[in-house]
Amino acid sequence: MTWQTFVFIPIAALAFGYSGYRFKILFRMMKAHQGKAGDRLKDVPARISTFMANVLGQKAVLQKRAPGIMHFIIFWGFLIISVGTLEQFTTTIHQAANFEFIGDPAYRALMFLNDIMSLGVLLAIIYAAYRRFVLRPEGLGKSVDANIILAMTSSLMVSILLMNGFHILGVQPWFQDAMPISRAFSEVLAGLGLSQDTNAILGGIFKWIHMLIVLGFAVYIPSSKHLHLVAAGPNTYLRTLSREKGMTPINFEDETVTQYGAAKVTDLSWKDALDYYSCTECGRCQDLCPAHNTQKPLTPKMLIVDLKHNMYRNKANLLAGKHDEVSHIVDENVTEDVIWACTSCRACEIACPVFIEHTNKIYDIRRNLVMMESRFPTEVQSVFKNMETNASPWAFSSEDRAKWADGMSVKTMAEDQNIDVLLWVGCAGSYDERNMKVLRSFASLLKKAEIKFAILGKEEQCTGDPARRIGNEYLYQTLAKANIETLNRYNVKRIVTACPHCYNTLKNEYKEFGGNYDVFHHSQYIAKLIGEGRIKPTKSLDATVTFHDSCYLGRWNNIYGEPRSVIQALPAARMVEMSQNHDQAMCCGAGGGRMWMEETLGKRINVARTEQALATNAEVVASSCPFCMTMLSDGVTEKGMKDKVRVMDIAELVDQSTP
Amino acid sequence: MNIYVCVKQVPDTETKIKLNADASGIDPAGIKWVLSPFDEIAVEEALRLKEKNAGSTVAVVSAGPSRVVEAIRTALAMGADTGIHVDLPENADTFMAAKAIAGALKKESKVDVIFTGKEAIDDGAAQVSQLIAESMEIPCVTVAVAIEYGAGTAKVKREIEGGAFEIVETTLPAVIAGQKGLNEPRYATLPNIMKAKKKEVKALKAADVGVSASDQKIRFKGYQLPPPKQAGKKIAGDAATQAKELVRLLHEEAKVV
Repeated sequence: MTWQTFVFIPIAALAFGYSGYRFKILFRMMKAHQGKAGDRLKDVPARISTFMANVLGQKAVLQKRAPGIMHFIIFWGFLIISVGTLEQFTTTIHQAANFEFIGDPAYRALMFLNDIMSLGVLLAIIYAAYRRFVLRPEGLGKSVDANIILAMTSSLMVSILLMNGFHILGVQPWFQDAMPISRAFSEVLAGLGLSQDTNAILGGIFKWIHMLIVLGFAVYIPSSKHLHLVAAGPNTYLRTLSREKGMTPINFEDETVTQYGAAKVTDLSWKDALDYYSCTECGRCQDLCPAHNTQKPLTPKMLIVDLKHNMYRNKANLLAGKHDEVSHIVDENVTEDVIWACTSCRACEIACPVFIEHTNKIYDIRRNLVMMESRFPTEVQSVFKNMETNASPWAFSSEDRAKWADGMSVKTMAEDQNIDVLLWVGCAGSYDERNMKVLRSFASLLKKAEIKFAILGKEEQCTGDPARRIGNEYLYQTLAKANIETLNRYNVKRIVTACPHCYNTLKNEYKEFGGNYDVFHHSQYIAKLIGEGRIKPTKSLDATVTFHDSCYLGRWNNIYGEPRSVIQALPAARMVEMSQNHDQAMCCGAGGGRMWMEETLGKRINVARTEQALATNAEVVASSCPFCMTMLSDGVTEKGMKDKVRVMDIAELVDQSTP
Repeated sequence: MNIYVCVKQVPDTETKIKLNADASGIDPAGIKWVLSPFDEIAVEEALRLKEKNAGSTVAVVSAGPSRVVEAIRTALAMGADTGIHVDLPENADTFMAAKAIAGALKKESKVDVIFTGKEAIDDGAAQVSQLIAESMEIPCVTVAVAIEYGAGTAKVKREIEGGAFEIVETTLPAVIAGQKGLNEPRYATLPNIMKAKKKEVKALKAADVGVSASDQKIRFKGYQLPPPKQAGKKIAGDAATQAKELVRLLHEEAKVV
């Protein structure tokens, strides 16, 4: 024990004590949330595996090459250097308490890694600074917080190099040959011509500087976005595992529930709070957001930041359990325009390296606005009314549901239940003229393949998806339950649909209400029929085709290959990809109920996406979703390319090519 | 204030109206019934007036077969407090409906104002508002697009022919019939939908309000659907030829010029 022991222990105790106190507050704020987060612990093997891949392996972070590698080095560097830092602490408390007990080769290896990583991390931080101050990607924004962290981390690395450099000159430790970087550095320092004792003292001083910055870091972290250091690991472990996630149902039978959706941050769940803690404001979500990229006020990044700040502003109420006094979410930062701008395309969630879920927060906020406060864009009211009275977002009578099939002798389930598959038509296929043609092509294909199928006709109702995404869970459940009753009454087992929104709802969201079916999107079904040789496209298409990924097919259900394989099966079709494709694809602008809302702010999303399609010089823009069809057709018309570029559903392309 | 709203349940505009086998009436199967849109405007006006005057209540009155209670519940879900249902036969005419509603209102202790829609969208008769007022011997202002309330009075802006407006002042109680533009009816919040299921709807028989079969002034002899719409005709050629052909068709086929 030396004087250092007695100086270090109280400083460290104070720093860690204060840091611990701040963490406890963060934890208590998290626990003050009342919303349900679902079971976040089951399926341990999958959780461990995602932790290994995405925390230790940094897989999601590495989706972006250069910043990913930078982060990988910093992450592993800090883990390794922490061992060295711990040794500094223990030897400061008790000089002999070093880690040399692990034996020679192991200790040398540890020192080697520490040495290499201190330079690696320093270089990575220089790149980070270059990126932040010179490249300045838009999504990163400006941040004092980030600058402080950069200054701290770079000082940490420099102090380590100086510490080791002087230490080698002053003490000449037995393992110095395992530290090539520090040795080379010590040769530079030797040029100062200081005595051995002075070098030893300087080594000690830089050790102290390093330790003090580490303690400062511990104090600073809880109030910084670099809290992700602590939160992102658990957030990854506790993430929603399945890509095909349905929205959380509300139990309307439960009369103890008086609040539907989220009016206040505390109506959200503890997992949402952990999401805020995990956000390091990297801006990847914002870079891909179709709303942000067309000048809407929504950016997923700022939504998370604003929710976090809302929670911090309400800290006293949260800690005192005064839920009633917590201020509302919708305020001058998170405006109604922000909440309604979301197309629920989910690009933000797919881009997020720490698995923050943006969409569920927006859905919950919408639920409160719609069901509790009756606040939504005025044009939506008629959509709700139509769905209530006519079971369709558009004002048409159920009697006309089967009109699209006039003259095709398509049977209804009421007429014939001896079928291979039920064709779920959807409201767009039933009532929208352009999409009625798509349904006719698909039905014609099914007939060519000699598939026995039927439709529900006037018994089919809207799946409820638009109501649900807009926030009217009550209306959604009314429609869902009616449809499930009908489907179960006919003992339906297999369903095929040309609408990804219907597909997603039937497949992933009816389960919760007792509807379990084998559901296919028509791209999957056609791909299967081609694979089995039941459909043989032989007529040449002879055109350049680009395929637009529907969000509810791609990002929500991970179906990217089948529609492309269908196009590639067409003779002489030449596939070209748009600049944004697969899970990076840009939404057409119609999801999340936006199909039925006016788009008054910024550039139109469908036009922006159409421009990407036109940039490929394709003659055919292929779609696999009725809403994408409408949006892209409008976009092509708007760009004056209607005579040169055709927007076609994949079913139409295959039907044309199949004799 | 004791505020009253009279509502009618009508087939939704998208419903395909079909006649029953002997054409003696409309086939009720497959009809989607809704609260008449103009009556929604009346309910909204009543709710806004209530919100401005603490301690007010809104009661919804409807006359017809038992199904019309659904329309009353819709209004209750929007925020009205209680309902009154007068049981009348399916084909009750406007006179009988008005007499039944007025009879029910006369039984109430105090009526400060009565709102209605300017007409029901099924028969489009636009008579019941005036008939209620007549029966209760109070003023009636129809086609209201804006209302300003004073002490025991109301200044009403009403739409008249030729796209013009007139402003009239009336004492209250009065019947005020709302026109589109008076307000934007609200969408019921879920807590209100839940509460509406438990709100009281008073059930009255025709006899309770002094209505008998002799109050049916109109006898329905039969029903007919309008002839199906003919396909349009496209006239080809240059402007002069098109004009010439159009005049010929209007003269010879349509016989209007």
